[in-house]
Amino acid sequence: MRTPSLLFVYGTLLVALVFQLLPWSSKGVIARPDFMLVVLLYWFFRAPHLCNIGTAWIAGALVDLATGSLLGQHALAFTLIAYLAISFQRRLVLFNAFQLLFFTFGLLTLNRLTILILKLFSGNELPNLHYFWPVITGVILLQVMQFALGKITQPTSNKAD
Amino acid sequence: MLKGVHQKLEPQQTPAFFVHGASPFSRMVLFCALSITLMAVDAKLNYLSQVRQAFIGGLHPIERIADIPSEFIRDASRYFSVHNELVQENYILKQQAFEHAIKLQRLNTLQVENDHLRSLLGGVIPIHPKAILGDISHTGRDPFRNVVIINRGSRHNIQAGQAVVDAKGVLGQVTRVYPFSSEVTLITDKNLSIPVQVERNQLRAIAFGQSGNTLDIPYLPTNVDIKIGDKLVTSGIDGIYPAGLAVATVTKIDQNPKSPFAKIISTPTAKVSHHLQLLILELPESKEAQIPLPDTDNALQKPTEQEVQPNAHP
Repeated sequence: MRTPSLLFVYGTLLVALVFQLLPWSSKGVIARPDFMLVVLLYWFFRAPHLCNIGTAWIAGALVDLATGSLLGQHALAFTLIAYLAISFQRRLVLFNAFQLLFFTFGLLTLNRLTILILKLFSGNELPNLHYFWPVITGVILLQVMQFALGKITQPTSNKAD
Repeated sequence: MLKGVHQKLEPQQTPAFFVHGASPFSRMVLFCALSITLMAVDAKLNYLSQVRQAFIGGLHPIERIADIPSEFIRDASRYFSVHNELVQENYILKQQAFEHAIKLQRLNTLQVENDHLRSLLGGVIPIHPKAILGDISHTGRDPFRNVVIINRGSRHNIQAGQAVVDAKGVLGQVTRVYPFSSEVTLITDKNLSIPVQVERNQLRAIAFGQSGNTLDIPYLPTNVDIKIGDKLVTSGIDGIYPAGLAVATVTKIDQNPKSPFAKIISTPTAKVSHHLQLLILELPESKEAQIPLPDTDNALQKPTEQEVQPNAHP
């Protein structure tokens, strides 16, 4: 678990793509987390040598192709988020669980805002606040991932034990 | 001092190749530029539709896997549906079929009569388009757009631009075609407009999609003759939607005397819910075949010209 293999990282990203493709009812779509970005964030924090800005860009382009949105929208948003996440990655060791939670909350909100701005540029209407539900479900999903695949902030959890 | 700590940590944290590679900032700039180029190419040029088609075609197996859980739930709920409900539904359907059969008998004779009368008038006999049956496999994944994905694609001879209807009325239009599926933009989408006609008084207008599953009819004067409950049907002047299909019912009219236009809101008659069958109508073969030639106009105009000229010369 300490050092995940590259194949495992790509496997989880593929699973995230399948989840992204799951058919959702019109009500479920509102709360659907950005599976791909949450899984990417997990790997940025835990193994940035395996999953970097290039991976984020390709994953974003795949999401764009799969969802039928303008090609490059998610790629651009994911690239920006990846840059922020990776430049803060070394400081994560000092973060506690709550700080990490707020950091991911901020990153996911920024992702939604970036996509919103790009969509507005291409002539879409302003959505209501439901648009930001995926941020909250995304934060929850990251906690679930930490539970299933191992914590991101290893040293602090050791101290707590 | 911070830098010293940084350098000490590096060998433990990450392999050497990451440290010596391009800095995150330069990578970020490179990939941002790439995505902005992609967006511009995708929005303005049509090069990428082939890429998208190929990708969605390749993605088909994964999509099928992703569809399995919801299909299972659907089948299970169908299996456990109550006997009583089925009997009731069967009764209603039989009644409907009976009523429709009576109407259909009259329709056949009327159609023959109508075609005969049109041929007598010298008009063109309207073409009754063929249709392909399809299933909605899921709703669109982009919450900004009102689209559904259907399980018929270019392998089933679907083309972009075809009209899509269900049992109750017009649903929308095929906008993107993939090998095994295609994307149908619903009439409630902001980017779709449909030429309509008020059934009661044959008033022609164009309805635009609006957020909140309604249609908006702009640019009609404040004193326009439209009432709440009026039915809107397709006018057929665009050559895509056959004339006379139900589109929407007017639900709200806001006639503000200060504004030059009335605000007319209507709700579509077609029901778009999960897992529903729909018909994809064939495109008309040529537009000229549908437009009747203006023979009568020429016949009326020519004598008047001849009458005017002799008077003008002397």
